[in-house]
Amino acid sequence: MSLTSLSVSELCALIEKKEVKAEESVLSFLEKIREQEKKISAFLLVLEEEALARAREIDRKKEKGRLAGIPVAIKDNILTRGTRTTCASRILGNFIPPYNATVVERLEKEDAVIIGKTNMDEFAMGSSTENSGFFITKNPWDLRRVPGGSSGGSAAAVATEEAPASLGSDTGGSVRQPAAFCGVVGLKPTYSRVSRFGLVAYASSLDQIGPLTRTVEDCALLLQVIAGQDGRDSTLSSQAVPDYLKEMREGLRSIKAGYLKEDVVKAIDPEVKQLYLYVLGLLEEMGAELLEMDFPSWEYALACYYLIAPSEASSNLARYDGVRYGFRHPSAESLKEMYLSTRTEGFGPEVKRRILLGTFALSSGYYDAYYLKAAKTRSLICREFKEAFKKVDFILTPTTPEPAFLIGAKEDPIAMYLSDVFTVTANLAGIPAISIPVGLSKQGLPIGLQLLADYFQESLLFKLAFLLEKKVKFKKNLKRKEE
Amino acid sequence: MKQQKFDIDHICALANLKLSEEEKARLEPQLVKIVEWVNKLEELELDLTQGEVYTPISFPLPLREDEVQPSISSEDALSNSPDTGGKFIKVPKVIEEK
Repeated sequence: MSLTSLSVSELCALIEKKEVKAEESVLSFLEKIREQEKKISAFLLVLEEEALARAREIDRKKEKGRLAGIPVAIKDNILTRGTRTTCASRILGNFIPPYNATVVERLEKEDAVIIGKTNMDEFAMGSSTENSGFFITKNPWDLRRVPGGSSGGSAAAVATEEAPASLGSDTGGSVRQPAAFCGVVGLKPTYSRVSRFGLVAYASSLDQIGPLTRTVEDCALLLQVIAGQDGRDSTLSSQAVPDYLKEMREGLRSIKAGYLKEDVVKAIDPEVKQLYLYVLGLLEEMGAELLEMDFPSWEYALACYYLIAPSEASSNLARYDGVRYGFRHPSAESLKEMYLSTRTEGFGPEVKRRILLGTFALSSGYYDAYYLKAAKTRSLICREFKEAFKKVDFILTPTTPEPAFLIGAKEDPIAMYLSDVFTVTANLAGIPAISIPVGLSKQGLPIGLQLLADYFQESLLFKLAFLLEKKVKFKKNLKRKEE
Repeated sequence: MKQQKFDIDHICALANLKLSEEEKARLEPQLVKIVEWVNKLEELELDLTQGEVYTPISFPLPLREDEVQPSISSEDALSNSPDTGGKFIKVPKVIEEK
């Protein structure tokens, strides 16, 4: 069995028992990257020399961390000191961060090896990775299709075994949707659980960093390492980080889960719906108590999200003006002209759309009708979740309305936004949500199930996801297409 | 409260963007369509003058001890700027000559 097919915990065990060296582990993944990248293009940057040097250093250490010798791929909006970080945007094409994000520090402290920076939609704005300013990443299950987005590179890298785990960021589904499209596990933690220090801001009240892995156990392990206070993100909760792995293995005495009403899921792909109903049936067999949930504001969530996120983005992205970092337009003669031409040339079309939409929603005369209304709608959505979690421990939904779509299929921005219909609510409410692969469509494309739980109940999510993972026996080996 | 006039020139000016005519012709109808789409929120009768507005965290902001810690050097801080001179960032002239 090749090292790259092992899970993080399996590989950790071999390295701990000194049956495998960190260097061998990193070499195997680098070889996998060389073999896969021609087809997949998941990485913007592979850190071959740095990763090998780091692995050798780890092999020499007597006391090793919990992730010793485990390669981790990092989404390119998470800062890595001395290593180019672009957000897949031309405006940050040459940006070399002078410091590390907290999550990167935490991984390195546990002796994980950063193996590369992954492709994404520019500034995390998109659901297909087609908005990357550099190139398109392909879905490993079908190269004609998108890997999802915005953390498409991170999801594809884990699915192809180019890395056993990766980090992404999730503002409206950007970890969970690509995880579903690529057949891997993806978690968006509770807002304020994981430090955003060093995550390039897109929509600060929604952004959260989360792991992508091939097993639920690995996801719990990664969260364990990256969660908790750091003194550099003032929105972080001081709540103690539980022992996720231990709690995950404790199992559940009873399962009380809510599912969506028929009219919410009626318009989705029939195979996705069929699989959703199949999993609900499995849960019933496991003795779960299932409750139909009524979320009257669910249908407003997308509109709410596509006002809040662009509004925050328009403010966050005002900093890209060509002064302190990134691209500066060379021909400008005045400061104002420099701002205008730098931004106009540096940003791609989707980023411009969202900046303009957000600027509009916040502008004088429209603020109340758009931004404020969306902020109030957000409270409504939150209240509905709070009520729901008085009755059930989980809410189950499909992760996406359809499996991975073809590259170029969604040129209409609204059609693309509709991909996020099941995922944005967790970000709006700030609750945790996980996507696990539960099956394949007839065309051989992975389909994901999303589990949502109350604030800081990641352990509950892991428990149920762990049980379901064993039940559904998702076939992890990709159906290789004859090229 | 049907407000969907989208003055793209005004919004571009506020956002510090200068679109070409071609780009404007492509983006404007898309934005108008998106604004119409988000107008779905009009169906919700919400009192905008009172009631809670969402805040992402409901707990009091935890504060750490105010300890002096090393920060990044000015050399590092300047290292990404496209144009510097000494400890300063250079930009095109701001003050116009009379």
